[in-house]
Amino acid sequence: MSAVDLTQFHKTFFEESREGLDAMEAALLALDSGSTDHELVHTIFRAAHSIKGGAATFGFVDVAAFTHVAESLLEEVRSERRAVDSGLIELLLRSVDCMRAMLERSSQGQPVADAESEALRVELVRLVSGEVAEPAAAAAATAPVSGWNIAFTALPHLLQTGNDPLRLFRELQQLGRLEVVRAFVTDSAPAQLSELDPSQCHLGWELRLHGAVARGDIDAVFDWLDGDCELTIAPLVEAVAAVAMPAPDTAVPKPVAGPRPVRETAAASSEGSSIRVGIDKVDALINMMGELVITQSMLSDIGEKFELSQLPRLRDGLVQLERATRELQDSVMRIRMLPIGSVFNRFPRLVHDLERKLDKRVRLELQGEHTELDKTVLEKIGDPLVHLVRNAIDHGLESPAQRKAAGKSETGTLKLNAYHESGNIVVQISDDGAGLNHAAIVAKAQQRGLIAAGQELNDAEVAELIFQPGFSTAAQATDLSGRGVGMDVVRRNVRDLGGSVGVRSVSGKGSTFTITLPLTLAIIDGLVTAVGSERYIVPLTSIVESLRLRADAVRRIAGGGEVFHFRDEYLPIMRLHRAFACTDAVTEVERGIVVVIEEDGRRVGLLVDDLLGQQQAVVKSLEAHYRRVQGISGATILSDGSVALIVDVGGVVRLGQRSRAA
Amino acid sequence: MAGKRARQQGTGEADAEVSSASSADTAAAAPVLLPADCRMAAQAALKAELLGVLKAGAIVLDGTQVERVDTAALQLLVLFRRELDAQGGTLRWHGTSDALNEAAGLLGLAQLLNLPAEALA
Repeated sequence: MSAVDLTQFHKTFFEESREGLDAMEAALLALDSGSTDHELVHTIFRAAHSIKGGAATFGFVDVAAFTHVAESLLEEVRSERRAVDSGLIELLLRSVDCMRAMLERSSQGQPVADAESEALRVELVRLVSGEVAEPAAAAAATAPVSGWNIAFTALPHLLQTGNDPLRLFRELQQLGRLEVVRAFVTDSAPAQLSELDPSQCHLGWELRLHGAVARGDIDAVFDWLDGDCELTIAPLVEAVAAVAMPAPDTAVPKPVAGPRPVRETAAASSEGSSIRVGIDKVDALINMMGELVITQSMLSDIGEKFELSQLPRLRDGLVQLERATRELQDSVMRIRMLPIGSVFNRFPRLVHDLERKLDKRVRLELQGEHTELDKTVLEKIGDPLVHLVRNAIDHGLESPAQRKAAGKSETGTLKLNAYHESGNIVVQISDDGAGLNHAAIVAKAQQRGLIAAGQELNDAEVAELIFQPGFSTAAQATDLSGRGVGMDVVRRNVRDLGGSVGVRSVSGKGSTFTITLPLTLAIIDGLVTAVGSERYIVPLTSIVESLRLRADAVRRIAGGGEVFHFRDEYLPIMRLHRAFACTDAVTEVERGIVVVIEEDGRRVGLLVDDLLGQQQAVVKSLEAHYRRVQGISGATILSDGSVALIVDVGGVVRLGQRSRAA
Repeated sequence: MAGKRARQQGTGEADAEVSSASSADTAAAAPVLLPADCRMAAQAALKAELLGVLKAGAIVLDGTQVERVDTAALQLLVLFRRELDAQGGTLRWHGTSDALNEAAGLLGLAQLLNLPAEALA
């Protein structure tokens, strides 16, 4: 029909719609907290209106139909024919979620409408047409299901995360009558019993949960299994049969409630190809470019008719060039920097939902939303933060009654703060709850065999325990402080970003989790080392010390490994020239230099020929240009134009440990 | 829930029902005793023991002592039963504890494990 290919605009539409939904959500939450600003209603209406218009234009019929009904409802609110109450806000918030999910599915080319969206749409229609005008009735209509079909297939590593399906099923049982329709062994199971690793899980289930159970409660049960299982949750068919709903198999696998399930992550990384940049940053770039052009023309002017008397001008020009280049570099790097507010923004909603679910009163304070960090880091920090916030509200903050008894205000405070500190970004999540329950943590750790019975631990060591894999107290979240849920996953995620996470807790006063992250993954501070004719860069953050060893300081151990004595321990020596097959390198330990590097508390000494100096290295992916190489995390270009490889400290330490074990 | 009370059923009706396939040669096999703490940590030893008796054909498991059990244990038993079936062997229970019954029932694995039907009530 149209000669214009509309698909080129889809991406923009999705992005704008997501922003619109965020704005709707924020405005709804503001309305909920008692604001009577009429402008908020207009904001919500406008956002819904433009999503409807866009969806209709681009042929997303289902989204348009859904939004249309929501818009009609909002029109009534706007013209003051309908009063705003908490039931209505709740319904609209669910509609926002639903639209968001629909858009997500459209952007992935999946079927858009599902039983849930259809049920919600019918609910909205009823409300608009006045069938159910009473807010109380509307609330009743929010749980129209008589049960849920749950398809749950464990991924092999499920058990290793400390999640046992047995516990999950027990929790489901608390919600309603649980029926196992089918239990089966998955294809991932080894054919021979002898090949079975008992710590791997190869089971799957089709479950039916009977009763008027809220979807959110089921999601909460599977919350911590993000990426550890395949999960589909769909309402039982008869529940909404009256509503001409699509066949149940169109229900798209609902990823586990942790906001980023596996498949969405995949989609997110493919989305990573574009970035929305503030116009001021682009202007700064153009400005800088202009200066560069001026400097360049000035320099070429000098070059054309050069006389020795112009030497000072030439020098001036070069200084200008250098300054402009550096500023340009800064501005370009700043393009990748986004304010952390985009992550913080999802917390008011999360807190709102959790407050209701857990029956607690929470005041959320956000600070430092404008702190900027690299887009890559930003995208990956969301999930760990969500885990920590959930934990803080679930286990950190006490119930209003408990708080009153402890002489605190009934409303707990949860503070999120972000700030820059010496080249790092620090994110703090603090609550004024009960703090970590030391006795319970120690007892749990002993029960899990993480520490020996009777072992004395100081506060820091106790806090460290909650980050241990397998220290999941989810099963007894109520009778223990239960801070260990998924904390090892949080730590792993943060480590993957090159950061660290720690906790400080005062009993009865609250806990503070601190995440420290590098500003960017694109630039690292590195030590340039020479190995033969090659240059290798060792990330500065992992270097403990560099030293020269005497020949007699090196001991040979059985199996051909070499170790040396370093601060009360023996460390393996890793000869870089041997690991990376460099010729003409120094082979006598006493003539080279040993750089002690550390990862995860494990240390290795790297033997290199010489240290050449410290340099900021712009990391270039080796995978993108060549292929993955073990022990190398990337490459960079040195000032003389040659390529230097960046040592992957974790990989090298593992190599070193293995050679010692061998 | 995880009580020690065990249902003994070495003889009787339920027994005949679950092992009708080869009740003749079951008498010869010694029961494999499942440990009281039958969780992840015990699986390596249990697996080795089960592999050892796999060839015997008619296997009797004694689940009376089981106090704590997890999904990993039940999975091991399910896969054991599967392999046993493939070889034409049979699985019979020399009693099961409440904890074992409860866990198998909850996970819907009782049938796959050939647990005595009346234990699942």
